Amino acid sequence: MKAARFEHHEPETVGEAVSLLESLDELTILAGGQSLIPMLRFRLARPDTVVDINGIDDLDYLREDDGYLKLGALARHADVQEAAVVDERYGSFVDTAPLVADPQIRNRGTIVGSIAQADPKGDWGSVLIAHDGEVVARGPDGDRTIPADELFLLPYDTSVEDDELITEARIPVPDEREGSAYHKLKRKTGDYAMAGVAARVRLDGDGRIEDAGIGMTAVDITNARASEAEAHLEGERPSAEVFEVAGDLAAEESNPESDEHGAAAYKERMVSVLAQRALGDAADRAGVTKRRATP
Amino acid sequence: MTDEREITLTVNGTDRTLEVEPRKLLVHAIREDLDLTGTHIGCDTGNCGACTVLVDGEPIKSCLSFAVQADGSEVQTVEGMEELPAAEGDLHPLQEGFREEHGLQCGYCTPGMLMSGKALLDETPNPDEDEIREAISGNLCRCTGYQNIVKSIEYASEELAETPAAADGGAVTPDQRFDDGDDPADCETGCGCRGTTGRGGDSDTEGTST
Repeated sequence: MKAARFEHHEPETVGEAVSLLESLDELTILAGGQSLIPMLRFRLARPDTVVDINGIDDLDYLREDDGYLKLGALARHADVQEAAVVDERYGSFVDTAPLVADPQIRNRGTIVGSIAQADPKGDWGSVLIAHDGEVVARGPDGDRTIPADELFLLPYDTSVEDDELITEARIPVPDEREGSAYHKLKRKTGDYAMAGVAARVRLDGDGRIEDAGIGMTAVDITNARASEAEAHLEGERPSAEVFEVAGDLAAEESNPESDEHGAAAYKERMVSVLAQRALGDAADRAGVTKRRATP
Repeated sequence: MTDEREITLTVNGTDRTLEVEPRKLLVHAIREDLDLTGTHIGCDTGNCGACTVLVDGEPIKSCLSFAVQADGSEVQTVEGMEELPAAEGDLHPLQEGFREEHGLQCGYCTPGMLMSGKALLDETPNPDEDEIREAISGNLCRCTGYQNIVKSIEYASEELAETPAAADGGAVTPDQRFDDGDDPADCETGCGCRGTTGRGGDSDTEGTST
């Protein structure tokens, strides 16, 4: 099916884009388009106007700056796979990018677009949560930052206003004793997650967990944080036993629905398993990073 | 609101200017406006990869892009494969590989497989099996079970390695571009073989896999 007719705008600056958002109604923002274009074609979305931001060169970046890893609105999934800056310190990014859809879609789809889409089955929202990340939204009054915990409201709904454009997603550059990972369960390449867990741990000088972050995919109405599991980890030494308790707590905090991919009880069980695996990898990587720092 | 926009695409090396509505998908522009029907529409949902083309060298699904987004870009479709230097005026080694290794049955997914294979070999000339499987993971085939598609791409990789000068993007001699093996007159038997002395005369493995 063809998309309904729309007016196509191609702003060249963020300022132009925000002016368009301010002055027009019934519009949608086109970045990678890998979720949006099918929605337009099946007329699940029928905006009058499409604001295509692909011509805004200023938004095409992926870099460390000012203590953050910053991903501009045009950074593609494939960029994460290719960028030298995304090394083993960013284990969750290294894990996640190749698990998103398939190679063709990763060449086009953007991380920020995936976050803005706020599909509870999207992978990057969980990574953003696990890293205590945030997005930067530009509106008529300038920039504001929105922490991951305040971003996701409902499926496909965020706290970003209609006249705001997310220009950037960012996470703090991990500490030397920090590691992260992402584990995703899906039936085959290209599928959305049946369940997914992003985990991050930071160890103190004594080898105890001083900070942990856990984000969950596809098991609630939005990407969700497993706060009780995080709290359980703090102060503990990494071990299979500790991770098992944390995994079970995360499973209790999740709220999956039964569907053609599996029963809710099964998905909860998988949350626990995926969380344990992600925490194990994250802890290993926290150790690896530490060793790497002392040649 | 219904106005059409003029866009220019460099399709298989030739500039093509066309008028399209902003809502027109790239795959529809390629098939309907440019009449290049080698690019297939399989699923209409972005899953199957039959519509894969290269835009500025990168494989994308042309059903997940509007034509206006490709304005000013270089687009490669399956029709351009034979014109690439590595084809030496005949089938591209990838196409030859699919023939030699039975990489297709119904053939519907093949144009997309070829373009994903091309993108892989451009970046990774000697891929291992995992890399090949990863590269075609966005392309569905319901006939072959993929085994022979993997072998087809391996075949092309080996062929291209044996004729490095002819690898796409490499130096191209007039001999290679205008290989007279392409001229049926070169083969006097009238067998329709298009002069098999042309490609592969320099290849030890030629013909051994059949």
